Amino acid sequence: MTATTDDAAGTGLSTPRRPAADARSDSAAFAEEFRRAHRRGLRRAAWLRALLNVAGILLFLAVWEAVPRLGTWVNPVLLPPPSAVFDSFVPMLLSGEIAANILASLRRAALGFAIATATGVTAGLLTARIGLLHHVSEPILHGFRSVPSIALVPLSVLWFGIGEGSKVALVAWGSFFPIWITTFIGVRDVPAAYLRSAACLGAGRLATLLLVVLPAALPMILAGLRQGIAVSLILLVAAELSGAREGVAYMMSTGHQMFRVDIMLIGLVLLGTFGFIADRLFVALIRRLFPWYTTAS
Amino acid sequence: MSGVTSGITGGPLIDFDRVSQIYAARDGSPVWALSDVSLRVEAGEFVCLIGPSGCGKSTLIHLLAGFLKPTSGAVRFRGRPLDGPGPDRGVVFQEYALFAWMTARQNVEFGLRMQRVSAPVRRRRALEALDRVGLRHAADRYPHELSGGMRQRVAVARALVVEPEVVLMDEPFAAVDAMTRNTLQEDLLRLWRETGVSVLFVTHNIDEAVFLAQRVVVMGVGPGVIREDLAVDLPYPRDRGSAEFGREYARIAAALARGSRGAEQSDGERRAA
Repeated sequence: MTATTDDAAGTGLSTPRRPAADARSDSAAFAEEFRRAHRRGLRRAAWLRALLNVAGILLFLAVWEAVPRLGTWVNPVLLPPPSAVFDSFVPMLLSGEIAANILASLRRAALGFAIATATGVTAGLLTARIGLLHHVSEPILHGFRSVPSIALVPLSVLWFGIGEGSKVALVAWGSFFPIWITTFIGVRDVPAAYLRSAACLGAGRLATLLLVVLPAALPMILAGLRQGIAVSLILLVAAELSGAREGVAYMMSTGHQMFRVDIMLIGLVLLGTFGFIADRLFVALIRRLFPWYTTAS
Repeated sequence: MSGVTSGITGGPLIDFDRVSQIYAARDGSPVWALSDVSLRVEAGEFVCLIGPSGCGKSTLIHLLAGFLKPTSGAVRFRGRPLDGPGPDRGVVFQEYALFAWMTARQNVEFGLRMQRVSAPVRRRRALEALDRVGLRHAADRYPHELSGGMRQRVAVARALVVEPEVVLMDEPFAAVDAMTRNTLQEDLLRLWRETGVSVLFVTHNIDEAVFLAQRVVVMGVGPGVIREDLAVDLPYPRDRGSAEFGREYARIAAALARGSRGAEQSDGERRAA
């Protein structure tokens, strides 16, 4: 049997013969052979998936490359092919311009997101655990939550200036709400059996909060953080477009002013990559830190 | 037997004194979960509460655990009125009460951690407790990696490791299969005899009650009351196939049937009124 006809799941492995005579000693060898074939199958499936992913990207690039060249109905100035975009990307990368802009954006997003995480989780915990606080804060928090965060861009510039402050504040503001609301729901819905178990085992308020309530609410909190990452990217772009001296979206807006669509497209690709990597990293981090998380009920 | 001196007063370990528990139904009308219930349990006793659903047997457990305060009457533990949950009364729930983010050992260690027992001692005692329920090998597994029966063993170990004077069990084996349940029951009896702890065990399973309990308290609905309090005078270990076992089974089944008939009658009277 050749490797190419072997199917991806590894079910078509060449089954070792099992003579009934010495089944005992043979079964260990069979198990080992089966395991190896199974692993081989899984590896092959993973490779195939990666190959298809890459093929998809290449296909997309090929179509994009072809479209501006095929006819006159697409203006190559408005939609430059990837090769042209790449040609202008390389000198920008070598001059350090790209890296500087990425770093500036990353710093703003990270700082704003960190502030949102600290305040959002704290607010969620407090409002969910203290009834009085919940009822007092409910109308205000929900009222602010209903305002689309982008509407605060001009106000933020007036208040915090055109520098870093307004960008960080906007990112923090926008990602605070999903983090707060999911933390609130997660903490509110901690199963009674957990709280009762903790109380019966002699846990005080603080121990219950740190060792039981927080971990029990963690799946929800993490969902909120993930949403917060996506929202902070949106607000980062909005803030940088409204006026900045560096950053990926700033780079795009200068591209806009200079009628350089290729630079704008570089920014788009960077932002997409940015969001994608941040999300993947987050998921990988969760898997590593909380092995019980994925399958916990 | 651990030093279960039943309080300074020399009275019973657990004393429900004319306890009533009323809660509001959805439409705001009062519902009697328990009506004027009195029950005493001595130190070291194994008592089963049995009855149809809605008879208030879980409410009794929740009162003694300290999750609820009685609407009227008093619940005393070692002669003193209760004030909230505490480690002198361990609780084993039906399921899903093990902390999902802790391994079996960390779950068992939790109560000791709250008592500020040092880490090495904690670890040793937790492993011993897991050993007693036959799960030392699974100490580092998370609850989702354990079967239903194993989880309940860990829950029992977690409740017992802090050496409570009574363990309250609210249908702890209801969600496991029949074969596993029998093994769990035998293990529980062994632990009970080794530690001398009192057990208050809620079940709706007559076989389970006869196999486990020294006393079976039969409860009835409408409103929650104690119908009968029957002693089961069979030596341990009990043989499910024996004639005496069958007789005790029949006696409790009859008491349960009498109880539900009484409820229907009182129901009918109320409707007629």
